[in-house]
Amino acid sequence: MTKQLLVVENLEAGYGEMQVLWGISLSVAERGISAVLGPNGAGKTTLLRAVAGIIRPWSGRITFSGEDVTLSPPHVKVGKGLVLVPEGRHLFPELSVEENLLLGAYTKLGRYNLEESLDLVYSVFPRLKERREQRAGTLSGGEQQMLAIGRALMARPTLLMLDEPSQGLAPKIAIEILDILQRLRGEWGLSILLVEQNIVKSLEIADYAYVIEQGRVVLEGEPEELSKKGDLIKAYLGI
Amino acid sequence: MTVIDWFALRTSLKRAAPALALYTILLILYFAVPGKSQLIAQILFYAVLGQAFNIFMGMTGYVDFGYVAFLAAGAYGFSIAILLLSGVGGGWMFIPLGLLIAAIIAASLAGLVGAIALRLRGAYFAIATIGVNEGLRYLVEGLNILGGSIGLYIVKDMKELVGREGYQLAATTLADMLMFLLAGVAVLTTSLILSTRMGFALQAIREDEDAARALGINVTKYKIAAFMISGVLGGALGALNWALKGGVVEPAQVFLILYTVEAIVIVMLGGAGTLLGPIFGALIYIGLNFTSNVYIAPVLESAGIKATGLHLIILAPILLAVIIAAPQGLVGAIRSRAPSRLREIVV
Repeated sequence: MTKQLLVVENLEAGYGEMQVLWGISLSVAERGISAVLGPNGAGKTTLLRAVAGIIRPWSGRITFSGEDVTLSPPHVKVGKGLVLVPEGRHLFPELSVEENLLLGAYTKLGRYNLEESLDLVYSVFPRLKERREQRAGTLSGGEQQMLAIGRALMARPTLLMLDEPSQGLAPKIAIEILDILQRLRGEWGLSILLVEQNIVKSLEIADYAYVIEQGRVVLEGEPEELSKKGDLIKAYLGI
Repeated sequence: MTVIDWFALRTSLKRAAPALALYTILLILYFAVPGKSQLIAQILFYAVLGQAFNIFMGMTGYVDFGYVAFLAAGAYGFSIAILLLSGVGGGWMFIPLGLLIAAIIAASLAGLVGAIALRLRGAYFAIATIGVNEGLRYLVEGLNILGGSIGLYIVKDMKELVGREGYQLAATTLADMLMFLLAGVAVLTTSLILSTRMGFALQAIREDEDAARALGINVTKYKIAAFMISGVLGGALGALNWALKGGVVEPAQVFLILYTVEAIVIVMLGGAGTLLGPIFGALIYIGLNFTSNVYIAPVLESAGIKATGLHLIILAPILLAVIIAAPQGLVGAIRSRAPSRLREIVV
């Protein structure tokens, strides 16, 4: 069995009185891509926020590289290499492309490898290099998403979590972004936890997938298995 | 880290230079223009108020509506030191000791309030901080502690400590000089923060707190640190202005929410997050206040119109115009239009 980098067990979380996650268990293998699929409001974003530490899990356990990080604050997790690309990108629109990237190297690991990381990010996203002086707010949607991923890479993650990276992008660009994720796994040895709406493409690049609904995992398995249960996926995801 | 970051130190000195130069000009005017030293002192008070307030609001984007509570904490802290020394002696020691206790009380208050209220964002934070200010005021008045609603009168105690003439000096020129010193400290602190990792972290938090978190910035730590630094400077200002200079610390005055509003106005007029902003803001604010009270109000009054607080009526449309036309304030507007050589100076 492959070694698991991230293991989430019976995670429960929510906002105020409202419980969103009702005992979610999932894992991401080393150099693996796990996809989380589900309809709107299923708790996908909440799941990533809880794993990243932005909201505090109510119960359950999160293990990263064999270490219990359930209650670690986000900056500690980023320092350990568990990095989230938040939904909606959250760039600094007034800053240039390169300044946004440099801010990504805020962690110790990021600072020590600054030049090297910048070269690596530019080699993955040559478009960002062309536009390094440009203000981030003036980039196209696809380029902004590339910048958001590039900025996360500057922290030198071992596990990258992405919240709907293809959101609001033209289908062609969306597929380009998801292809890049596969490249990152191959070339950087990254592990990826991907939350996506683009189900077909996600199942293509992932080696394991979870379907969640109303805060629970209702279906899981390798993409080929899941694809065979076509009618089930259809029932849950409406495709 | 034990190694001093010389680069950051040099950058910050360069950044601080224009603001320090302006304060030096004010200092020269203070001695050079006869009869106007108290007008200059008033400008100075508001400039330092803006400068101290700006460290938190300008850099994090959080508006602390209860900011004046730190000034009050400092004023009470300073008075407590004097009351402790009175009868014991200690002479001039009362000033450093007073400022120390003022700083400790203001820092503790900021740490305590920050740790709770900084979990809130936007309007919720503003409301919570108003609550702290009003709550403290009613605590002092209701429990009748620290002189209750009457306040603390410390003139007699200060006279006992350093003599009649010593006190005369302390409450006038010395208090104003210490205020100039505080202005310098506030400017240098701001520029040092802006030139270090903390400054970048705070600006990231101001622009997008969620993004800052995702970058691995310990947002809570930096917010509380900025809040405490801002609070300590506010505490020192309150101590100098009310306790040392005024000799009276009464709740109706030191908890007056108007000071917070004035701080916001000054920072908005001048430019949030900039070093020169609060100085320009204070100049405009006091300039307007002075002109309307000294030149316009008497004319209106001779015509039978009572014109107290006239400057506020004039100020309101000006502030609206600034917010619409130059949302980054005067300094921000100059900076975004100026050629890059000049831009470096106006930070």
